This record gives sequence, C-alpha cells and structure tokens, in this order.
Amino acid sequence: MWADAIRAEAFRLSKSRTTWFWSVFFAPILLLIVGAISSLVIDANATKLAADPDAPPELTQMLSMQPLDMGQAMIANAGNLSNALVLLFILIGAATVYAGDYRWETWRLISARNTRPNLLLGKLAVVTGLSLVAMLVMLISGTLSDLIQAAVFDRGLTFTMDAGDVGQFFLLAGLSLLRILQFTMIGLLAAVMTRSLLVALFVPLVLAIAQFFLPMQVLPPMGFMPDSWLSVLVDPGGALDSIKDLVRGGDAAAGVPDGVLPKAWISVALWTLLPAAGAIAWFNRQDLSKE
Amino acid sequence: MSAVIETRNLTKTYGTVKALDGLSLTIPKGGVYGVLGPNGAGKSTLFRILLGLIAPTEGDASVMGGAIRDPKAMRRMGSMIETPRYPPYMSARQVLTWLSLAHGLTSDTTRTDRWLERVGLTEAADRRVRGFSVGMLQRLGVAAALITEPELIILDEPTSGMDPPGIQEMRALIRSLAHDDGLTVVLASHQLLEVQRVCDRVAILNKGKLVREGTVSELTTTGERLRLSLTPLDKASTILGERGTVDGTAILANVPRAEGPALIRALVEQGIDIDEARWVGTDLESVFFTETGSIQTPEHDHVG
Repeated sequence: MWADAIRAEAFRLSKSRTTWFWSVFFAPILLLIVGAISSLVIDANATKLAADPDAPPELTQMLSMQPLDMGQAMIANAGNLSNALVLLFILIGAATVYAGDYRWETWRLISARNTRPNLLLGKLAVVTGLSLVAMLVMLISGTLSDLIQAAVFDRGLTFTMDAGDVGQFFLLAGLSLLRILQFTMIGLLAAVMTRSLLVALFVPLVLAIAQFFLPMQVLPPMGFMPDSWLSVLVDPGGALDSIKDLVRGGDAAAGVPDGVLPKAWISVALWTLLPAAGAIAWFNRQDLSKE
Repeated sequence: MSAVIETRNLTKTYGTVKALDGLSLTIPKGGVYGVLGPNGAGKSTLFRILLGLIAPTEGDASVMGGAIRDPKAMRRMGSMIETPRYPPYMSARQVLTWLSLAHGLTSDTTRTDRWLERVGLTEAADRRVRGFSVGMLQRLGVAAALITEPELIILDEPTSGMDPPGIQEMRALIRSLAHDDGLTVVLASHQLLEVQRVCDRVAILNKGKLVREGTVSELTTTGERLRLSLTPLDKASTILGERGTVDGTAILANVPRAEGPALIRALVEQGIDIDEARWVGTDLESVFFTETGSIQTPEHDHVG
C-alpha cells in the first residue's frame, strides 16, 4: 500500500540527521546569519549609503525607519521560498530519498511486498513533506531576519494581512512548493535511470542552469522571444516566476507578457508530470537485483 | 505434499547466456530445502525471479499459491539475498522497525526485540549498522526476513562471511525455524557440508537446469560403494570387471549393500586376500561434483 511506503520512507528519513541538517536547516541558518551581518554592515555605513543617489529602493526603504509590515514581509518571503539556495539544499534530501535504496542496496528488502508505483509515490510524498518542512523553516528564518533588520534599523513593526493577502500568501507558497517538486522530479528520474545519488543531485542543477540561460542567451538570437512557446516550455522555473508575478499583481504582474499564463502552466505541468511518469515507467521494468 | 514454490519451464536469458534453462521445480511445504549449484548455475537468478526482482524470459512460477509479484503471496514470504546492506545511520532496531512499516506492520518493539534476540543481536540492537561485521549483517538479514512472520523464507548464502561459531548458530536457527516454528526454509549455499547437515531436501542445478533432486539421504546413499583393500589388485579388478574401480591400492565396488558379503566371499574363494572392507558413501559434496561435472575431490568416507 501507498501508506506503508510513506510511513516506512518517512521513518527512515527521520533517522538521517545529516539529511535533515543539509536539506532543511543549513540554507535558512546561512541566510539568517548573512541577513544579520548585512543589516549590521549597512547600519554601520548608514550615513554614507543614505546619501548615495544610486542606492536601490530596498535599501532606501530599509534606512527610512518606517515601520516594517510583517504581514507583507511574510507574503514576500512566501514567494521566495523556492530560491536557488533552498533548491540546492533540498535536492540533497530529495536525492537521498530517491537514490538511497540504490546506494544501500535496499530495494530488494522492500520491493517484494509492495507495488513499484506505490514505492516511488511514497518517496514523492515524503519529499513533498520534506519540502514543506524546509519551506516552513525558511519562512521562520526569513521572519527572524526581518525582525533582526527592524531591530538594527530601529524600525517599528506592524502587521496587515486581509483575506486577499492570506490567499496570496498561500498561492505563492504553493507555487514555491511546486517549483521545488518540479526541480526534484528531474532528480527522481535521474536517480531511477542511473541508480546514482550523485547524478540525482547534479542533473537537476545542470539542467536548471541550462534552462535559465537558454531563453535569455541562446534562443533570442534564433528568433525565439522570451514569451514564445519554446522559450516558456524550456524554462519551467521562469514560467513559474511569471505565474508568481501575476499572483503578486501590481508592477510585478505588469511586467509579464500577455498570453504567457497558459504556456507557463503547460510548461510547469510537463516538467512536473513527465519526469515523474517516466521514472515510474522505468522503475516498473527495472532489474532490482542489480543495485 | 503441498508445494510452496513451483516453477514451470522457467527460463532467464541475459543476452546469449541462459542463466535458467527451462527449470521446472517443486519445493514442498515444510522443512529445509537446499538449492545447490556451482557459480552461474542459476540459483540466485531463480531466487531473484521468485522475489519479483527480475522477470523471467519464459515460463512462470508460483509462490505460496500466487503469481510472482502478487502482493498477497509475497506477504507470506521473507527473504535474504546475499549479504544485506542497510542505511548505515540506522540501528539494528531501527532497521527492523523501518522494514516492519514498509511491510504494513506497526512499529511494535516487542516483535523487533523478539527477533533480535532470536538471531543473537539483542546487545547490538541500538548500535548503528555501519559498524556491523558481515556475520552480524547476515543475522540482521535473517531477522529482517522473519519480521513479518512469514510461512516461507528464502535465504541466499546465509552463512557467507560468518565465523565457525556463527555458522553453527545460524545452522541451529535455520533448523529451529523449520522444525519448531513450522516455516519452510529455502536456502542456497556453497558450503555443501552445511547444506548436508541442515537440509531435508536438495535440488542441484547446473547451467540453469535441474540435474538432481531428492532428500539428502536419497542422494547420499544411492552412490554408496564397498571399498576393498586387497591383493592382488589386478586379479580382483578382472573379477569385478565394470563393477570395480581401482582407487590407489584399493578397489571401489559398485554393489548394493545386500550383495556385499557375497562379493567378499566370492573374492576370498578366488584367492584374493582382503585386508580391509568398508562401505564408503557419497556425501553431498561428491554427488554435487559428480552431477555438476566440477573438479572431483577425494572420496569421503562415512560410517556405513
């Protein structure tokens, strides 16, 4: 049963402290420390930076001593929960879950009593849970970072979040989760096809870098603009960013070209479902006696 | 006699190599069943097909009355294939809990502790498996195979890497599982003496085919011969003809036990001096080497 696969996988993951540290706690702790140091450095140079006419608006706002709206800050953080650092480190956990049974030759122990799709779907469910925990820890880290910043710059705190804001918060968080899962699906396919933890770790990274640069550097000279079908299809991360901008509204939404939304959803769906379906199909026929 | 495993014309081909070649085998319920064969005979391939790890090229098999990969049938079977490995950060107790959950059971510590005690790992229950010896991993593998309390257990080389006391303990455990707990144990081993001591029935495979099958006593008594130390050797050899084989300074006579005294009398009457006469049996090792065409070892005596 699927539930058995989930319970077993979750139990095993719960015992791997190394995986928890790297995939859930390292990035938020690092960002918290970097954020705190940045605030202190900026505060130490506040007079000089405030006089700089080329200072970015975020910096100007930070130094303005206006109250910090924690509700809006949380919404901004929700949209940033799938940043590159989170993706990089959550992949360590995902690769461990997806490729662990090949690495430790344990498929033969668990595959006889469950169906193979259930086993892989169990891993997907556990990686989804791990991603949610990582996002929650990152959200807490972001909130703490905002509080430190407010304390360093003597900014007061307010909290505004109406029903629309709550919806926006969960939509952005959901889209961030989707980005993480889409990214880790490539890791799943790579793990099943190559039986290697390292390949499961590096293929999504290399692919993400390629996906980032293709629509910006390679395709435009070939006549494919950023809103073309091909450009959107090859860059599911960019597609999700466009959807997030539309959810954010305002200036962010204004920057999204017309007609991109359906292409973006198709790109996201393809890059999420195809690797998962491919992995299940491959795994179903795989010789598990060779690990 | 109901069967726990039945294979019909089971064939597995890897490229041009036939790992299994039309194997039809029936393994009865109860007792310890040994599957023997030299490297490449098809033992591991057979086990892997039975466990659903690989698919056969031709033929089919049933386990506990169900098809291979049938979850209902698989739930009645436990297995250990070669030296098992586990996530190194887990303790022995955690490994068994993890496998219990994977097999749809609860994380019941009473059950895990009982099996850890049964395989002699109580003291190491909370140690991480990364520090386990091969023998300890083998024992944990047996406990893992038994955690679901199956009716059939398949063990591939269960004593591999174990020291002599460990082998003795494993042998006792296997026999106890079969005769006290009522499990059917199917095992493959290269240690023929161990198989002879622990198994009730054996099948000998060679090049993917079944070459002999039967109880251990059936296989080891059919090749019994009378070893005669005598003089003159040439004359005795002529008298015995095809029934006798010269073995150093003695002759091995292929005669049924009942005819032994008459043969000795006949030789004495024809002027042969018999220094010593005793029955030498074929142990499983001799049968194995004869059937598989492997390098023959010296004849082993047994009290006959």
